[in-house]
Amino acid sequence: MEKQDLIAKINSALATEFEVDESVITPEANIKETLSLDSLSLVDLVALIESEFGIKIQGAEMVKIQTFAALYDFVYDKVR
Amino acid sequence: MEQKALMTGPEVFELLPQRPPMIMVDKLYNAGKQCAETGLTVLKDNVFCLDGHLIEPGIVEHSAQSAAVFAGYKYYLCGEKPHIGLIGEIKDFHIRRLPAVGEEIRTEVTILGEAFGMSLVETVSTVSGEEVAGGRIKIFIQE
Repeated sequence: MEKQDLIAKINSALATEFEVDESVITPEANIKETLSLDSLSLVDLVALIESEFGIKIQGAEMVKIQTFAALYDFVYDKVR
Repeated sequence: MEQKALMTGPEVFELLPQRPPMIMVDKLYNAGKQCAETGLTVLKDNVFCLDGHLIEPGIVEHSAQSAAVFAGYKYYLCGEKPHIGLIGEIKDFHIRRLPAVGEEIRTEVTILGEAFGMSLVETVSTVSGEEVAGGRIKIFIQE
């Protein structure tokens, strides 16, 4: 999968799951703030990425992923 | 042919922190890495029975305990006592009909994701193959 296709797929899935407009999802934006995630809903993000891309994200890895750009890079590295 | 359970009655109760009359799972049919299946035969003296049916709180409790039994079984395989599981959130839960006394509700639990001590699970409950309830439950397991 090309990275641009992967980014589009991630953005679409996030916008649907967390009920935000896709336009607010930009590479440098903070994930937690943009998606209004609290400690309970972080597991929703992990589950979404796992189910969409068939990859595992450990809690310690998730803590380091602050921006959408970091999330794109992480998923791209795992799936390519 | 009736499917043989991995665990029944008191064996299952050991996987849960709850005690009678609050136990809402009496069989564990199977348990894999991501999925498990549990069962509960609805008895007339069930505390969540009203007018011959298992009512909504009982179905939700059965679903949550099914997830707890799944987690408890993993601890059992490691030789540990079950840890207490707390319901963090119930989402998109639907109930199509109430199981009657004498019927067995069976619930398939699938782990959708795990992080930070929390598990997001999906439950699908059936009676004689007919889906009667299901949804997503977020459970926090106390270490």
